Amino acid sequence: MRILVVEDEPDFLRTLLQALREEGYAVDGAADGEEGLYKAKETDYDAIVLDAMLPEIDGFELLRRLRLHKPTPVLMLTARFATSDRIRGLDTGADDYLTKPVDFGELFARLRALIRRAAGTAIPVVQVGEVEVDLSARSVRRAGEPVELGAREYALLEFLVQHRGRIVTRTQLYEHLHDENDSPLSNLVDVHVSNLRKKVGFDFILTHRGQGYSIGR
Amino acid sequence: MTLVPRSLRWRLQLWHSLLLMVVLIGFGFTAYRMYAETRYRQLDGELRLRVQELTAHLDRGGPRPPPRGPGEQRREPPPRARGDEGPPLGRPPLESPLFTRESGFYFAVWRRDGEVLERASYAPADLKRPVRSPETVRTRDGFREIYMFTPPGECLLAGVSEAPLQAELGKTILHLTLLGGLVWGAGLLIGSWFTGRSIAPLQEIGATARRIAEGALEERIPPPAGGQELVEVAAILNETFARLEATFREQARFTSDAAHELNTPVSIILGQAQLATSRPRSMEELTEIIGTMRRSAERMKSLIESLLVLSVLDSHAAEAPQIPCDLAELAEEQVAALQPLALERQVQLVTACAPAPCTGDPDRLAQVFTNLLANALKYCRPGDRVCISTGTENGCSIARVADTGPGIAEAHQARLFQRFYRADASRNRTTGGAGLGLAICKSIVGAHHGTIYVEPAPPPGITFAFRIPRTTADADVNRS
Repeated sequence: MRILVVEDEPDFLRTLLQALREEGYAVDGAADGEEGLYKAKETDYDAIVLDAMLPEIDGFELLRRLRLHKPTPVLMLTARFATSDRIRGLDTGADDYLTKPVDFGELFARLRALIRRAAGTAIPVVQVGEVEVDLSARSVRRAGEPVELGAREYALLEFLVQHRGRIVTRTQLYEHLHDENDSPLSNLVDVHVSNLRKKVGFDFILTHRGQGYSIGR
Repeated sequence: MTLVPRSLRWRLQLWHSLLLMVVLIGFGFTAYRMYAETRYRQLDGELRLRVQELTAHLDRGGPRPPPRGPGEQRREPPPRARGDEGPPLGRPPLESPLFTRESGFYFAVWRRDGEVLERASYAPADLKRPVRSPETVRTRDGFREIYMFTPPGECLLAGVSEAPLQAELGKTILHLTLLGGLVWGAGLLIGSWFTGRSIAPLQEIGATARRIAEGALEERIPPPAGGQELVEVAAILNETFARLEATFREQARFTSDAAHELNTPVSIILGQAQLATSRPRSMEELTEIIGTMRRSAERMKSLIESLLVLSVLDSHAAEAPQIPCDLAELAEEQVAALQPLALERQVQLVTACAPAPCTGDPDRLAQVFTNLLANALKYCRPGDRVCISTGTENGCSIARVADTGPGIAEAHQARLFQRFYRADASRNRTTGGAGLGLAICKSIVGAHHGTIYVEPAPPPGITFAFRIPRTTADADVNRS
């Protein structure tokens, strides 16, 4: 899953980026509203963490303009806790709202919920064949036995599960599993798919030649 | 305990009623006196008239004893048929409409020797001949009598009981009192109504003001009816409330901004702490994390220090020392202190300081220079120049810090000295500072009865200036 964080405070941005990356997300950052809006329009992020107070364009304005183009889930972060600000944020198009200082545990949980909703998977635990994926705990079991997955592998699996039943192109996978600072070779996706298959079962992931991959219902 | 009521309205009514009573009593008394005098004069006039009649009667040959012949003895007058002591010698008794029992006017005539010559039958029994005296009026036992001594020595007297007149006057007093009472009562009622009407707007203003003071600060007193004075009072109160409201809003905004400013470094510290403990970390990672936390803590520390400075200045807590100092000296000191930083940033620091004496707190004034210079150095680019000058103008000591840096857009200039205001509108911490430096300068300069402002100057750069009156006397000049 690929996330955009728009936050003007450099130390805080760094903190968020590191935390989210270590949680397994591919994360891009933007330090002002203009940059944030540009990136958000350019790329299909799975979620955006947006600070309300930004230079150039403030968070509410960015959101307003973004919503003209994209339905990307947005979680707003702010130091202002006035109810009126919350209402304004939610009405402008935010999907959730958190006040600083933010507990990362809560931030991650809410992001997961946002992403789940956007993908249409309301239930956090998904069963595909004999593979059970717990999206909240970020754990996988195969026939009841826990499966150890690397961060990228899990991210790949999660993405496929969120889009199960649909074909996911390699480009999509590439975009959603790496952030802008990462520019690995494009066949790294295939490597991860291959590794994943070894762990959860070969026919768990279906290959559609020339199109992409999918996971069955 | 005082008898004077505390309510303005009742006090007004008390005085009003007392005044009215005094006026009515005075007026009534005077009227009564005049009336009584008139009536008595009338009465006396009637009596005089009757005395005249007696005189005429006598002249007509009323009862006058004939001259005695030699050897003749005095004869007893024969009893009159009607039982009156009428004229004994055959003269007709006095019959006059002026003297009738019903009218109450009686008469008496004495001979020269004191014996009664003629007398009304209904005259009071104890009627005695008056003593010969220049006075011709006497009041005796409730009877008013006027008498006259003829040249031969007879005494003519006409009298009347005062009782009817007294009764009449008594009634007059009663009527006057009643009337006065009525008028007084009416006056009270009208006065009370009128006072109430005039006071009512005042009470309304009081009620509204209390409501506002107890929390409804956005409310204002509507213009009251009932006089220019009330309108003015309401206007002044409204003005005061507006200022109170503004102050509270300012306070609330300040507190909220301060909390916001502290929030961000706290978020960073907590976030970094979470990172530190989310998984095993190497020494390098931990060192970096701690470094970031420390940076934020330093920022909070500096912010808290600024807040404390502002709070002390706001509350005028400490008695501001009144030490004679010279802005030129203070400027030179701070320039010297910041010279290394200027060199590092390749910014030129230039001074042109003429003596600028003033009295106040030299440490605080030095802080103004520090803040202005630090700002200038922060925003200037390598090669820019900062010029500090001091001097006196118009009885004030004035200091200027002018730089050739990027300057500040005019739109921002009006709000530069507001707390937490930052011209670049972002809260970008890389440039440091929370937006309190200029606010602190403004507070310090204000505490010295001075003003700080942006001086219009041709670009590039910006010029800050502050002026401080040299004495408190000049302070008033400066303020106007």
